[in-house]
Amino acid sequence: MSIFGLHLTQIGSGDFLLDPSRSLNVRDMDRLIEEVTAHLMQVRAVRLYYDLSDLGLIDPLYYSWLDALARAAHIVNVEMICIRMQPTAAFALARFIEGPPAFKTALEIQDWQN
Amino acid sequence: MTTKKALSEKVKALFALKVEGIASQLEAPGVAMFCGSNRLMDIDEVSDISHELESLVASLLDSKDPTDISSAEMLALKAFFHNLSQKVLMRGGHVEDVVRYTQTVQFALIEALEKSSGVAFGQSRSVLLYFTGIFNELIMAAFGAYLDEREQTLQAQQAELRETSTPITEIWDGVLTLPIIGTLDSSRTMLVMEALLNRISKDHARAVVMDLTGVKSIDSQVSHHLMQMVRAVQLMGADAIVTGIHPEIARALVSLNIDFNTITTRANMADGLKEAFRRMGVTVGHI
Repeated sequence: MSIFGLHLTQIGSGDFLLDPSRSLNVRDMDRLIEEVTAHLMQVRAVRLYYDLSDLGLIDPLYYSWLDALARAAHIVNVEMICIRMQPTAAFALARFIEGPPAFKTALEIQDWQN
Repeated sequence: MTTKKALSEKVKALFALKVEGIASQLEAPGVAMFCGSNRLMDIDEVSDISHELESLVASLLDSKDPTDISSAEMLALKAFFHNLSQKVLMRGGHVEDVVRYTQTVQFALIEALEKSSGVAFGQSRSVLLYFTGIFNELIMAAFGAYLDEREQTLQAQQAELRETSTPITEIWDGVLTLPIIGTLDSSRTMLVMEALLNRISKDHARAVVMDLTGVKSIDSQVSHHLMQMVRAVQLMGADAIVTGIHPEIARALVSLNIDFNTITTRANMADGLKEAFRRMGVTVGHI
């Protein structure tokens, strides 16, 4: 399933991989969250893996999108796990967030599943 | 810089002189400075530099304006002394050797020019002033090489110190240890963080044991840096386990209102490693 700027793929029973593309407009987060959560509910998702491998930097705006999506996913009983965060992105993000994020993190999908 | 001023007769004679065949007379200062007990060069090498110096001095005196210290000929002469200084320093010599050589070769050059031309350049104040100006520039070039060398050595030592003071070791598949020794300031935290995050990514580490046994004091800024480091490790998807927190640091963290609830801590490195292994499903025991 594709939402403009996002590609959602089922990778196992209840597990979904969300792959953002360069065209993702996080300023339109309300609409995006509605569409993603609607789809997650429809397919009875349990876990949502958000792939950050192409993101060299996470700024406050992008973080607020991730935070909002994780909170929305939690409300519909879906756990969001950000995977493959780049060292540069972690470095930048750690400097401005005050507490633990709303999402979980893992190096790879299998690291979380283990 | 070009100086337009009236030249004395002897300076004019100097600039009109065709310099050749004086290299052997320039060898004595080189032999005295570099071929003594310090054995920085052999006689053949001193002979080579004397010939090169003769050729460079000849080019300078023959140039359009021999008083121009930014001319190509003067720059070539400065480069010669810069390289000579570098060579001497690399061989364990001192910058003083090059400075003394530069001073004595100046007098040897004037004497050689006197002999070859029959003009008493040594008696001319203008000629002496001209050579003093030129050779002061050359001494500066020799010192420049010394300062460059010192700067490079300092930078190399600092880089080595940084690397050895934060050794990141993969103690088990997927388990990294980072003993932190000394003070964590902003620049060091950034370097450690960068190195640690890159290692987590490269080694696919799942747990990092950060040992603070070597940290004797902590303030608000340092604790903030520490929290940033732990958070960055967690964001990468690895577990951060902080060990070896001294009682006085624990007290300081409490008084600084630092929330350690989201951070796993253990008393010492051994307990930290046990916890890391437990999380990875690895059991270590006596055989």
